[in-house]
Amino acid sequence: MSRRMAVILMLLGLAAITAIAQQDPQGVKVPDAEQFVGKPKGTPLTGDDLTRKTQDIAASLRCPVCQGLAIADSPSEMATNMKGQVRELLARGYTQEQIFSYFERSYGQFVLLKPKFQGVNTLVWVLPVLALALGVIIVFAKIRNLEKAPEPKNAAAESAAPAETPEEDPYLARVRKLVKGDNS
Amino acid sequence: MNRTVLLIGIVITAALLVVLYFGLGKDPQHIDSPLIGRLAPSFALKAVGSGETIDLARYRGKPVVLNFWATWCRPCWEEHPTLTATAKSVGDQVQFVGVVFQDDESKIVDFLRERGWAYPTLVDEKGKTAIAYGVGGVPETFFLDRKGNIVAKFEGPMSPQDLEVNLAKAMK
Amino acid sequence: MNATLGRLLILGSLLVSTTGAVLAYAAGAKRSREGLRWAQRFAYAFSAMMILATLVMEVALVTHDFSVSYVAQVGSLTTPLWVTIVSLWSSLEGSILFWGFVLALYIAVATWLTRNQHEEYMAYSIGTWLACASFFSFLIAGPANPFLSVPFPPVDGPGPNPLLQNHILMVAHPPFLYLGYVGMTIPFGFATAALLRGRLGVAFIRPIRTALMLPWIFLTIAIMLGGWWAYEVLGWGGYWAWDPVENASLLPWLTATAALHSGVVMERRGVLKGWTITLIQGSFLLTILGTFMTRSGVFNSVHSFTQSSIGPTILVFLAVILLGSIALLAARIDSLEAEGRIEGAVSREGMFLLNNLLFVLFTFTVLIGTVFPLVVEALRGKQMSVGRPYFDSMVVPVGAALVFLLGIGPALPWGRASREQIKRSLLPPIIGGVVLLVLGYALGARNGWTLLTLAFGGYAAQVTLGEMWRPVVQRMKRGESLMTATVQAQFNRGRRRFASYVIHAGAVIVIIAIAVSSTTRTQREVSLAKGQSTTIGAYTVTFLGTDIRNEPHRVATVARVAITKDGKPVEVVEPRMNQYAAMREPIGTPAVHSTLAGDLYVSIMNLDGSGQNVGLLLLITPMVSWIWIAVLLMGLGGIISIIPHRQSSFAAASASEPSPATVAETPA
Repeated sequence: MSRRMAVILMLLGLAAITAIAQQDPQGVKVPDAEQFVGKPKGTPLTGDDLTRKTQDIAASLRCPVCQGLAIADSPSEMATNMKGQVRELLARGYTQEQIFSYFERSYGQFVLLKPKFQGVNTLVWVLPVLALALGVIIVFAKIRNLEKAPEPKNAAAESAAPAETPEEDPYLARVRKLVKGDNS
Repeated sequence: MNRTVLLIGIVITAALLVVLYFGLGKDPQHIDSPLIGRLAPSFALKAVGSGETIDLARYRGKPVVLNFWATWCRPCWEEHPTLTATAKSVGDQVQFVGVVFQDDESKIVDFLRERGWAYPTLVDEKGKTAIAYGVGGVPETFFLDRKGNIVAKFEGPMSPQDLEVNLAKAMK
Repeated sequence: MNATLGRLLILGSLLVSTTGAVLAYAAGAKRSREGLRWAQRFAYAFSAMMILATLVMEVALVTHDFSVSYVAQVGSLTTPLWVTIVSLWSSLEGSILFWGFVLALYIAVATWLTRNQHEEYMAYSIGTWLACASFFSFLIAGPANPFLSVPFPPVDGPGPNPLLQNHILMVAHPPFLYLGYVGMTIPFGFATAALLRGRLGVAFIRPIRTALMLPWIFLTIAIMLGGWWAYEVLGWGGYWAWDPVENASLLPWLTATAALHSGVVMERRGVLKGWTITLIQGSFLLTILGTFMTRSGVFNSVHSFTQSSIGPTILVFLAVILLGSIALLAARIDSLEAEGRIEGAVSREGMFLLNNLLFVLFTFTVLIGTVFPLVVEALRGKQMSVGRPYFDSMVVPVGAALVFLLGIGPALPWGRASREQIKRSLLPPIIGGVVLLVLGYALGARNGWTLLTLAFGGYAAQVTLGEMWRPVVQRMKRGESLMTATVQAQFNRGRRRFASYVIHAGAVIVIIAIAVSSTTRTQREVSLAKGQSTTIGAYTVTFLGTDIRNEPHRVATVARVAITKDGKPVEVVEPRMNQYAAMREPIGTPAVHSTLAGDLYVSIMNLDGSGQNVGLLLLITPMVSWIWIAVLLMGLGGIISIIPHRQSSFAAASASEPSPATVAETPA
């Protein structure tokens, strides 16, 4: 009897608490992505897709309170909040581009760990490729150059030694020269 | 003298040294806010203590000083007297608003009771307001003009002079 | 007392190194033997003073002499003895002193080992070392002086940076890093001497190689220890974040690796001398750039524990040696070049050149990515970031290409080879590539780059193992016993060759392990109440509860987490949150259940006050331990390669080789 009473009282109490909780946030409204990047342009994600995509995007957003870590990698509360928000936006159907531009709007390009391919940033993407191209040209020019180089003075010793000597030993080379009687 | 080596070497060296020289003395944590000159993100949040919901739009027509802070942040303690004193003296012309950054409401209330409570401090929901304002640490203060545009952002504790200079921008 | 003594010793080493440098250069210019002797004496004197100064600091630390400024800054009566000893490198001033100490050791040893050799180059080499020594003495005496007197010494100090006392690996990482960084001064001195002389003789190549290999070994291990530390301490389950300070340690490693390779071509063919010297100069310059990046506070990094005013001083030093090196290179590079030639592009030599291209490209990409935010800020006044996604997408192809070269490079013969020969060496290892590719796919690897890396890696592994044991097989064919053949071919005459394949084997494993571990991990974030379980992969993880442990220098909240696999208990791990007196927020330390197949990583994300609920990050990462093991293997290979030949090479050579025609290990 008294037990049942207790249960009923508890349930009533719970109901009251929930009622208050529901009432409470009335009027509370946080800044929303819609204010800045408009309506969602993609399809809402759920389940594993949502988790995977959240992780992907989180790996490309910089945690502003940390030291250069991505929000995916940082245990800080800020990063956790940002991850939460990424997840929520994806669940509402926002696209990756929209989410990036939402964060970029408040933090600038600082927040993007993968630089955008635009303006002066293009250089960071293009320079290594140019360097590769230039390097290939230089290496091939060098090889050609070295192939045409005159035979070295001690050519006799060099060419007498078999092309393939796995053991790289300058002392051996000296022995060879001594044996061949070439003291140059 | 190999001119090519000299030329390439000097170009690379000069570029590197110039860049590093400009890098000296800057704060790597500092972020210029892209929000300056734009309309401040709108929000309506619950105030600590009273529980009243305060909408930022309510203060349209008055410059607003929006201060993100926490009790665990020492520099926030430093600037607190400056903020409360200024809020008391110019409170009729400028609205001061605090926003809690990653902290407990009870600690905030205790702190304010002890050290002076001159204006409302609001509780952020899951840090979303901080994210929308691009907060990268506390204290950080935004200055809004009468139309609700962000005109300035200040990182770190403000001296009375810092506050005055930025307030002037907001009151223009 | 300690402070005054320390200051005197530092002033002494500044005086001695500066005088010694001037004297050594003068002796070099005059080719004076007597001058060289004096330069050597000054080098020893500098080393002695700097080492003594460091000992004075250690005494002050251990005896808690808070009248020394550095001790007042990092000392504490409550820290354990080992923390007190290693706090020498826990903060800026101490770590610069430690740099001086390591430099002193290197200079003393290098001067001693070369005391009767390479006279032509030694005066200039010692001069260059002492010039660097005088810069660091100046830093210690002035901008970063740890020996200032504290007029009213405190009773106790705050203790060193908690992150540094949080894990034992932090004891090992900095010394290795410094041994790697500072050690580059020695080959830099040799290279500068060769440039000043305008020639590089055959006999001088070997000391340059050894002097470069030694810091390379330390740097290799230091980079691994840094990554391992991050993995064990930072709590996000990764070991490399392309953070500026990590990049700073990688850059000189890359150029030094390139230099070690071009050095082989230089040794065998007499070409690429100027280029190798350039790479050595570059490696040293990059260590100074790295120090600037770590110490100037310009970069944002989890590893920059110290920010200070020494940035401008280091920048001036960097500028001076950069411009000096370039002027010297430009003036003398032509007199070093091309005594030899190479015979074809599709040859071992050609692959060495490609290897150098890739390593330099790698260096350039990492350097550009690291400094680019500074460039944009200088040009545009806007902040931007270049982070892990950029480096991953740029560097992964380079890494794959490097594994490819690890395979075909050693497979190709030196010199000109016939089409038939090339086919015969390149085709068989495809088997190894296919095997590893299939194996990887079967075990669940699906990422394209990972599969490519596995294929190239299998190819490279077969080539490496084949080449590694080829001399043994050949000797055995000639009738030697397995034992004699192995000792002769691997540890005696062919030691360097064997060592290089040991390093290659390590490198292949590292690259495969990195590719696999970064693309096949399983991650779960869970919230558990006391007694509750969850599963990840084959593991079941149960949260047993929390303990609070009071340790002298910290309070630890330890979560006990039981791990079972297939129903059998495996281990109870204890991820923890350490609260240090000096820190606002606790530092989490994850726990790792490590096996050769993979690691289960357990990290606390949050913990409620009552200890009844815990938020855990669970990660299964395959093959992580292989990275640490394989890097140690690379270090071991390096050590094997620099052990000097014990036997006189003439005796050994004449005993085993009747005539030059049969010198080759390979049958014609």
